[in-house]
Amino acid sequence: MPEFKKIYLDAREMEHPEPLEKAMKIIQSLDDNSYLYMLHRKNPLPLIDLAKGHLLKVLTQEDENNQWHILICKNNTIDLSDFLNA
Amino acid sequence: MLNQNGLSLDQAPPIFVVFRFFFVGALFGILSGLFVLFFQETIFNAHSTEAIILTHTLTLGVMLSFMFGALFQMLPVIAGIKLTSPDLKANLLLYPFIVGIIALLFAFKLTTVSWLFLLASVLLGGSLLGIIVILLKNLFSLENHTSTSKGTTYTLLSLGIAVLFALYLTGTLAGVTEGSAYSHIKEAHYSFGLYGWIALLIISISFQVIEMFYVTPPFPKLFLNYMPATLFILLLLASLVGIFYPSIWLLADILLALLLGSYAVLTLKRFTQRKRPLTDATVWFWRLGLSSLLLSMLSLLLTLFIDYDPIKALSYIAFSSFGLSIVFAMFYKIVPFLTWFHLNSQGYISPPMMHQIIHPKMMMKHLYIHTATIVTFIFAIFIPQLIFLAGLLTILSFGWAGYQVVNAHLLYRKTQKTGKKFNMGSMY
Repeated sequence: MPEFKKIYLDAREMEHPEPLEKAMKIIQSLDDNSYLYMLHRKNPLPLIDLAKGHLLKVLTQEDENNQWHILICKNNTIDLSDFLNA
Repeated sequence: MLNQNGLSLDQAPPIFVVFRFFFVGALFGILSGLFVLFFQETIFNAHSTEAIILTHTLTLGVMLSFMFGALFQMLPVIAGIKLTSPDLKANLLLYPFIVGIIALLFAFKLTTVSWLFLLASVLLGGSLLGIIVILLKNLFSLENHTSTSKGTTYTLLSLGIAVLFALYLTGTLAGVTEGSAYSHIKEAHYSFGLYGWIALLIISISFQVIEMFYVTPPFPKLFLNYMPATLFILLLLASLVGIFYPSIWLLADILLALLLGSYAVLTLKRFTQRKRPLTDATVWFWRLGLSSLLLSMLSLLLTLFIDYDPIKALSYIAFSSFGLSIVFAMFYKIVPFLTWFHLNSQGYISPPMMHQIIHPKMMMKHLYIHTATIVTFIFAIFIPQLIFLAGLLTILSFGWAGYQVVNAHLLYRKTQKTGKKFNMGSMY
């Protein structure tokens, strides 16, 4: 498997609208070999809506601590579940 | 495969639906300021025609406009409700609503022209009850309710009841109904309007946005689950029992003051428990609004036992400050977010950031103007000459809000005309 660059964003203690703006900046800079790994206290529906609207691949999962893991990439051949909790 | 048209935007209403409501709200706010200049200290007597005109300009023209604008934006997000044809529904509400308010204000002034009350009843009753039924139908069909969606359901039921009571009152004033229960229905009408609609809507929305926007601990489960229903049932019981025992309102008012006062204290405490206590204007608008609610409830309690007009006036001003401060707090969250979100969804490379759409300094300046307005109104109870300054500050405050809507609209249009679009998914 090729090396994929993880761009990490811990937004758990960020106030609105910082997580959304920072995540969008990162999304715009993604290439085929990078992905966004975001941690959030809520499921950021507007961000997911925006990412899906731009035909990006999105994976969201809530863990046992009620924290949301949001993974977004541009390369549709990537299986994002491989990177979950990585 | 680039999605040049941007998002499907299933979850967001057309931006101009929200902007239109906010702009209309700001215009009615400016009208309120003009009324203050003309009516002067007569507005402090709640039974005067002038006070009734000003109250309805503020509650219907300002609060309802801003709150429906916010509801159109927030219902898809907080409750997952997808309104079909939101633009059409908003227009069917907004235009009869505007004409209806104007007819009602004239009807209050020209009491002999009874058809104005009928016109206002048809326009306001038709538009408001229509949208309430549509929104309630959507809310009732939800499979999974949150405390916010449940609270919003009670809120809309309260508004519906307030409107039905209003129709009885305008029917009486127009000479259509006899009006034997006029005084009782009037009390129930403003209780449902002020506490069931304005206060409960703010409370229900706050259950979600305080924790989400300001990273605070969540509200206690007991409060989330039972507060909206308790408030609604209390109002309903008081309205029913009050037909036979009007003095029940004394007990109801005490319980209302305790409920709303405890909400204010609980929420103010949440603002001291933020994980990253960055302070912006919206935080201060919330704090001012909640402190005003507490002051309003304390003065309401006092008015039940002490017949002193300045305390009554203080209660009205503080309640208005509660509603308006939180309306402004939400306004400054919604307008930049919605502009940014729509431009991003359309794929513009560098749309203005939220702080560029409305600069934090502009919000802080509005906070100062708004606070000065409230303080001036309170001093004007004792120094009547200050009422002119209070009127001018009201005009400035709502003019400021209106300018922010126009500015965001122009920025949005400018980006659409000159901005370059991002090619995010074009290679797949």
